[in-house]
Amino acid sequence: MSAKRVKDELLDHDYDGIQELDNDLPPWWLYLFYFTIAWSVAYLIYFHVLGGDLQEAEYLAEMKAAEVMKKELLAEQARQGAAAALTTQLTDDESLARGKVVYTTHCLACHGAYGEGGVGPNMTDEYWIHGGTMTDVVNTILNGVPAKGMISWRPVLKPDEITEVASFILSLQGTNPPNGKAPEGEKVGG
Amino acid sequence: MAMETFSYDNKIVRNFAFATAIYGVVGMAVGLLVALQIFEPAANLGSQYTTFGRIRPLHTNAVIFAFVGNGIFMGVYYSLQRLCKARMFSDVLSKLHFWGWQLIIVSAVVTLPLGLTTSKEYAELEWPIDILITVVWVIFGINMIGTIMKRREKHMYVAIWFYLATFLTVAMLHVVNSLGLPVSLFKSYSVFAGVQDALVQWWYGHNAVAFFLTTPYLGLMYYFLPKAANRPVFSYRLSIIHFWALIFIYIWAGPHHLLYNALPDWAQSLGTVFSIMLIAPSWGGMLNGLLTLRGAWDRVRQDPILKFMVVAVTAYGMATFEGPLLSVKSINALTHFTDWTIAHVHVGGLGWNGFLTFGILYWLIPRIYQTQLYSVKLANAHFWIGTLGILGYAIPMYWAGLTQGLMWKQFTDEGFLQYPIFLETVLQIVPMYMFRAIGGGIYLIGAIVGVYNLVLTARQGTLLAEEQASAPALVADTEPDTAKNVYGHRWIESRPVQFLVATLIAVTIGGVIEFVPAFLIKSNVPTIESVQPYTALELSGRDIYIREGCNTCHSQQVRPFRSETERYGEYSKPGEFVYDHPFLWGSKRIGPDLARIGDKYPDAWHYNHMIDPRSMSPGSLMPPYPWLADQSIDLSIIGKKLSVMKTLGVPYSDEEVSSAADNTMAQAREISEGLAASGINVESDREIVALIAYLQRLGTDLKAQRVSDNKQYKPKPYVRRGY
Ligand code: HEC
Ligand code: HEC
Repeated sequence: MSAKRVKDELLDHDYDGIQELDNDLPPWWLYLFYFTIAWSVAYLIYFHVLGGDLQEAEYLAEMKAAEVMKKELLAEQARQGAAAALTTQLTDDESLARGKVVYTTHCLACHGAYGEGGVGPNMTDEYWIHGGTMTDVVNTILNGVPAKGMISWRPVLKPDEITEVASFILSLQGTNPPNGKAPEGEKVGG
Repeated sequence: MAMETFSYDNKIVRNFAFATAIYGVVGMAVGLLVALQIFEPAANLGSQYTTFGRIRPLHTNAVIFAFVGNGIFMGVYYSLQRLCKARMFSDVLSKLHFWGWQLIIVSAVVTLPLGLTTSKEYAELEWPIDILITVVWVIFGINMIGTIMKRREKHMYVAIWFYLATFLTVAMLHVVNSLGLPVSLFKSYSVFAGVQDALVQWWYGHNAVAFFLTTPYLGLMYYFLPKAANRPVFSYRLSIIHFWALIFIYIWAGPHHLLYNALPDWAQSLGTVFSIMLIAPSWGGMLNGLLTLRGAWDRVRQDPILKFMVVAVTAYGMATFEGPLLSVKSINALTHFTDWTIAHVHVGGLGWNGFLTFGILYWLIPRIYQTQLYSVKLANAHFWIGTLGILGYAIPMYWAGLTQGLMWKQFTDEGFLQYPIFLETVLQIVPMYMFRAIGGGIYLIGAIVGVYNLVLTARQGTLLAEEQASAPALVADTEPDTAKNVYGHRWIESRPVQFLVATLIAVTIGGVIEFVPAFLIKSNVPTIESVQPYTALELSGRDIYIREGCNTCHSQQVRPFRSETERYGEYSKPGEFVYDHPFLWGSKRIGPDLARIGDKYPDAWHYNHMIDPRSMSPGSLMPPYPWLADQSIDLSIIGKKLSVMKTLGVPYSDEEVSSAADNTMAQAREISEGLAASGINVESDREIVALIAYLQRLGTDLKAQRVSDNKQYKPKPYVRRGY
C-alpha cells in the first residue's frame, strides 16, 4: 500500500467514541474483487454460452473413459485365458481359505456363519434356486437376485474372488450345520 | 444546544449475556454427546429421545439460535443504545423479546428430542414455533427500528447497517422457507416439493449462515473491536463497499449447497460464481477488523479480549475463503457429503462466532458490573484452551473428510470400486471421530472456564442497571452536513427508511432471479411418467424417517459420478422428487446414500438391520431403532396427511384419501406376512413396517421407467404395491 493511499486521516464523525479513517480501499483487495467478477463472467460464458461440458456431459465422458478402460482390460484377460478360469472350481486349501474370507466379509450376514442360511437360502443342502453347478453359482453371484435382496456382486468382488467364494460355497455341500434353513428350490445332482 | 439526559438499559443486556453464556455451554455439551454417538451409538443411552438423528438438530439449533442468537441480541442492545444515544425504544418490547426468545429455545429443547421436526436444516422447528419466532423477530425489529427513529445521533454507524440488514433478511428467509401446511398441531408439510424445496431450503440455509452468523456479528465487530482496541476503524470507504457488496452477493450463493445434485445447471453455476465473488466482500470485513488493530498489536499480546477478537476475525477470513473454494464444482465433488463440511462450519462457528462472543462478554460484563475482570489469567487460559480445541476439532475433520472423499472415489485397476462396502470408509475414519470429540471437549472446557470467570466477575461487582447518559437532541436538518461525503453515502446514513428500502432491494434480487425460473419453467424439472405419489403406508414411513432424523446421516441424492452410479445406481433426476414435501436430499453421508435402496435388500434384512444394525453390518455405526417395533403407526392422522398433500398438488384421489387408513393396514399386513415367512413376527401396525415400506419404495419408480424405456433391461418386473 502506498503512503498516499493509507493517509490515516480521521473523518470528522464519531459514534460513541468510535472514529473512522478516510483510507482508500486497499488496491490488492480491489483487484481481487475485480478478478473474481471477471472470472465469474468468464465462467458463465464458457459453460452457458460456449457450451462447456455441464454435469450430464461430464458424466457421460467419465463413463465412456471407464468403458474403454474396461474393454482393454477384458481383452488383456482374454489373452491370458482368465475368462475361462472364472468358472473353474478350485479345491486347493489356499483358494478355499481365501474364499472363506470373502464369504465371512460379505455373505455371512445373510447366508449364516456356516452357510446354514438366514435371510438368504441354505447353501449346504442339495437344493438350489438358481442352479448348483459352478457356472450357475458364479452367475448368481455375478448378477445377484436384486428382487430378493441379493445384490449383484460384480461391482464389489474381483473376478478371482468370485471364483474363490463360489468354490468355497460348493465346498460346504453336505456339511449339514446346525439350524440349517429348510431347503428351497430344486434338488440338484443326488 | 440543549442537552438531554436519559439512561441506557443494561439489565436487558445482562439478561441476554447470561442466556448466551448458559446456552453456549449447553449447546456445546449436546454437540459433544452427538460427537460421541458417531463412534459409539450406545452413547444415546438406549433412548429414542437422545438418539443421534434427533439431537443433532438440537445441537445446531442450540448453538445457532440460543448461543449466537442471544449473543447477537446482547451485543445489539448494548451497542445500539450507545450508537443512537438513546434508550431502547420500549422496555416492554425488550422484555417480550427476551422472554419470547427464551420460550422459543425451550420449545426447541422439548420438541426436537420428541422428533417433532420439519427436517429442513436450521429450520427444523414445527409451525407453531415458527409463528412464535416470527412474532418475536418482529418485536425485535420494532424495538430496534423504534430506537433508531428516536436517536440523537444523526447518522447511523456501520454496525447499525449490518443490524438492519440482519433483521430484514432473516425475516424474509424465515417466512418463505417455513411456508407449510399444518396436518396437526406439531406436523406440517412444506408447500414446496423436491427441487424447489431444495432450492428454497438452501437459499435459507446458506443465508442463515450469512445473515444470522455473519452480518450481525460483523456489526458487533464494528462496535466492540474498535472499542476494545481503542483505535479508529481502518477505512470508512471499505465499510461502505463491503457492506453493500456482501449483502447483495450473499443471497445468490445458496445453490452451492446443491452442486452436482438434481438441480438445473444454470442455478448451480450461479451458486458457484456468486460464491467466488464473495471472497473480496467478506475479506473487506476481515481487513477492516485486522487493520483497525494497527498500532495496537503490542496490546494484543497482553489483552485476552483482543486475542479472542483477532482469532475470531482471522477464522472469519479463513472460513470465507474456504467457502468459495468449496463452491468450485471440482472441489465440491470431493468434499460434499463428507466431514470437510463439518470442519468448515466449525472453523466459522467455534472461531468466528464463539471467540467473538467470548471477547465481547469479557469486555462487556466488567463494564456493566462496574468492576474489573475477575481473572485475566483465566481469560488467557480460556483463550489458549479454546484455540487448542478449535485445532483439535478442525484438523481431524479435514483429515476425515479428505480420506473418506477419496475412498468413495477410488477405483481399482480392474475398474471396480476399491471400497465397495460403504462401512469400510466410515470405519477408516473412526479414530478421527474420536479425536474430534476430544477437540470439541477441550473447547467446551474452555467455555466452562470462561463462564466461571464471568460469573465471578459479576459477583464481585454490582450491575449498573440504569446507565446515565446525556446528549443533545437531534435538531431538524437545517445545518449543512460538514462531514466528508464519501460516495454520497452520508445521505442514506441519516435516513433509516430509505436505508431499509435499499437493503430490501439488494437482498431480494438474487432470490427472485433464482426462484422464478425454477418455479415457472417446466423444463427445469422434466416429468418422469412412472413417478407416482407414495402410498399411505409409505408416507407414514417417510414421516417416521423424518422424525428419526435418518436424513442427518443418509443422503437421498446420487450424484452423476461414475463412483456413485457404480455404488448406488442411476444418478438422481429432478423429476423423481415432485411429490417430496419436504425434500430429503440430505447434506451429510455418515451412512450410504438411500436414493436407490428400494429392492436392494429383503424386508427381513431391513427389519433386522433397524433393530440392530450390527447384526447385518458388523461394526456399523448406525444407532439401533428397537422402539420402531413397539410403537404403532398413527392411523388417525393418515387420511389428513393425504388430504394435505392433495391440497399441495399431489394427485391422490378422493378415494385414496378416504380409505387411507384401510390401505395402510392392507399394505402393512402384506409386509408383516412376508416377514413372518422369514421367521420374523411383528404386528402389522408397527412403525417399523411403515418405514420398511418407505425404504423399499425409494428409487423403484425410476427403475420402473427404465424397464418400460428399454425392454432388454429387466431386473424385477415392477409391481407397484397396488394402493
Ligand atoms: C442381503 C443379503 C444377502 C447377502 C449379503 C448375500 N446374499 Fe446370497 N442370497 C440372498 C438371498 C435372499 C438369496 C435368495 C435369492 C432367491 O430367493 O432367488 C440369495 C441367493 C444366493 C445364491 C443362490 C442360492 C440358490 O439357492 O440358488 C448364491 C449362490 C448366493 N446367494 C451367494 C452369495 C454370496 C457368494 C454372497 C457374498 C458375496 C452372498 N450371496 C451375499 C441374500 C444375500
Ligand atoms: C448415525 C448415523 C446414522 C443414522 C442416524 C442412521 N443411519 Fe442408517 N446407516 C448408517 C451407517 C454408518 C450405515 C452403513 C452400515 C450399515 O449398513 O449399517 C447405514 C446403513 C443403512 C442402510 C443400508 C444401506 C445400504 O445400502 O446398505 C439403511 C437401509 C439405513 N441405514 C437406513 C436408516 C434409517 C431408515 C434410518 C433412520 C431410522 C437410519 N438409517 C439412520 C448410519 C446411520
